[in-house]
Amino acid sequence: MSAPGIAEPTEAIARAKAGDAEAWGELYRDYAPAIFRFCRRAMPTREDAEDATMEIFMKLKGKLGQYDTTRSFSAWLYKVAANHCWDILRRRKIRQGKETEDVESLPLEHPEPTQLEKLIERRSSEEVRKALENMGARARMALVMRYYSDMSYDEIADALGVRRAFVGVVLLRARHELRQALEGNAALAAGGTS
Amino acid sequence: MSEIEERNLKHLDEMTCLLYLERQLDRARGLEVSAHTQECEACRTLLRALERESRLLTRAMLEDTEPLPSRLAHLQEAARRSMQWIWGLAFGLAATGVYALYTGYIQPWQTELERAGFSGTNLLGLLIFQSPFWKGWQPMITLFEILALATLGGLAVMFVRRRIRRGSALALVFAGLCAAMMLPAPASATEMRKGDRVSVARDEVIHSDMYVAGGQIRIAGTIEGDLVVAGGDVEVSGHVLGDLLSASGQVRMTGQVDGSIRGYAGNITVKGKVGRNVMTFGGDVNIDRDSTIGGSITSFSGRLSMDGHVQRDVLAMGGQTNISGVIGGSAKIRSDELNIDSSAQIGGPVNFTGNKPPSVADGAKLASPVHFEQLRHGPNYSNPHYYIWQLIWASAYILFGLVLFALMPAFSSQAVNSAEEHLGASLGLAVLVGFGLPIAAVITCITVVGLFVGLSTLALWYGALHFGLVVIGALIGQWLMGRTRELWPLVGRMCVGVVIVRLLTMIPHAGWVFKYSAALWGLGAISLVVFRRFQPAVAAGAPSAPNVQPLPPNTTIGPLPA
Repeated sequence: MSAPGIAEPTEAIARAKAGDAEAWGELYRDYAPAIFRFCRRAMPTREDAEDATMEIFMKLKGKLGQYDTTRSFSAWLYKVAANHCWDILRRRKIRQGKETEDVESLPLEHPEPTQLEKLIERRSSEEVRKALENMGARARMALVMRYYSDMSYDEIADALGVRRAFVGVVLLRARHELRQALEGNAALAAGGTS
Repeated sequence: MSEIEERNLKHLDEMTCLLYLERQLDRARGLEVSAHTQECEACRTLLRALERESRLLTRAMLEDTEPLPSRLAHLQEAARRSMQWIWGLAFGLAATGVYALYTGYIQPWQTELERAGFSGTNLLGLLIFQSPFWKGWQPMITLFEILALATLGGLAVMFVRRRIRRGSALALVFAGLCAAMMLPAPASATEMRKGDRVSVARDEVIHSDMYVAGGQIRIAGTIEGDLVVAGGDVEVSGHVLGDLLSASGQVRMTGQVDGSIRGYAGNITVKGKVGRNVMTFGGDVNIDRDSTIGGSITSFSGRLSMDGHVQRDVLAMGGQTNISGVIGGSAKIRSDELNIDSSAQIGGPVNFTGNKPPSVADGAKLASPVHFEQLRHGPNYSNPHYYIWQLIWASAYILFGLVLFALMPAFSSQAVNSAEEHLGASLGLAVLVGFGLPIAAVITCITVVGLFVGLSTLALWYGALHFGLVVIGALIGQWLMGRTRELWPLVGRMCVGVVIVRLLTMIPHAGWVFKYSAALWGLGAISLVVFRRFQPAVAAGAPSAPNVQPLPPNTTIGPLPA
């Protein structure tokens, strides 16, 4: 897992860890667009994404010493970004009294396969991005972590603070929500037949 | 498969399909799902739809639809600007410190020396460069110019560091050295002679500067330029129209030198006439009754006997000073003992700092009584200047550390950590490098070929000692404020630590122990890092052991190939 088109900048990371400002600038130049895109997908507004990107890079400066060089830098970077974004979203939800999602109570249903296939075929990337903006924070966050930054179920569980066994449920519910947002058809999103 | 059979199959739920696609099912369940989808068209369609949905999601998220906002794009530039601001502040402070140092301490000394007849453009030029070796260069090279050049060089290295690799950096250094060595020497006609016994006969005239090296040197003729002598026993009875520079065991000047004498010798005797000034560094300095000095005398010696005629001032530092001649100007003397004979005449004020009051004979003719100040050993804590100097030194160390930490952040960080983590090795190397290296460097200096190497090594060792103190300062800072691996927090800890080390060095009687212990310890840590960097490393392309992990009990599997 890495930012698209970027090889692991081992040397720059080592120099940045030692406090080299130029190396830090290099990392920022290489990874800021990918992290901004991550935040843009995860956060509800562009302004939120900009703020989050800046805060993530500020935070990274302090955390770079903790980075284990034997592991993927971009994976670690996305993990930090995901934790930061989810912290913001969670705090905001608690403040607004919206922390009511209960993933464990979600029924598992079987949608009509051909109808789902048609729905997917008809939709463009642009429509998906618009739909993502209208989704709930947890669902959007889960999809972004899984399908943008390719995080593992363990990492997603860790970031969202759910048990690993329920990551699949979170992702499935997020997909349903996405379908609902795409189609405006609650019946399809919830599943038709089993 | 018939419609009835298919209806009888229990379809997979969406969750199971998703986990199967995402390779999250255990092996047995994965095989079951795979077998089911071979037979069930509806579940196969569902799997295909979910997979397409995954691809659509990834594509939608990865497509770059928005450029990086300008405020994020400028974040790096803003950070760099803030760094420039910090550097500007640091060098501004340093410049202020240098200005304060110059106006408060150096300039008054220089004025005093100029009043004494030494009209050099600066103190360093006066002490070292005002000699035939440096004629023509003196107006160019000053202490501040050297410092400024060194600072600029350091900054230049810092800015190009990223763009040059180790090999090219070495090539650059060697190319620079070669270029420096190939620069044409200042053109001058010079007579050079060497041998066990070298002499210039009474009727011989050298129409240029002359450089002489030998065991026994006798100059009885006329040198129309400067005379530079290096030998065991030197006697100049002739006439030198320029300056006389000597580095010898014993020097006697019984002739005439129209310029100045700069002498570095065990024993110096001046019996002739000197047109300008005499500056002597020696064990025993005798200004004979028959001598006449047109300018001033500056002497740093074990014993100074001043029996001749000096038209201007005398500045002397040493063990014992005896004055029985004539001094037209003032005398400033700092020595254990001062004896002024009855035949002495001093036209200006006499300031004496010594261990005991001066002995002034009754017949001595002094313009004013001798002003005596008891010599204090060790720091003078009641003098505010002592604290000002401490402040200046602490600032200098911090600036020194700041520049080195910024130039070599990884090296500095490793040195600080080595001092703590490898205490035994650091202390062992401290003894070896701290004492062994200067001895080796001095031995190298003795062999003429190795003079450059020896002096460079000594300079490097001396610089590393000071850097060692900075390293230990940073370590103390880390003890107090916690460990860090980042540059600026480390610099902050270094500042705090250096101040503490400097405070410890101010402790009466024990301060020097802290100072030298810290410097040596730090030197050991630096040496350890250098040593490790020269250790052979495993090549990046070398094959490594296969990293095959055993499969966990509930190994997940994905869709089987069709």
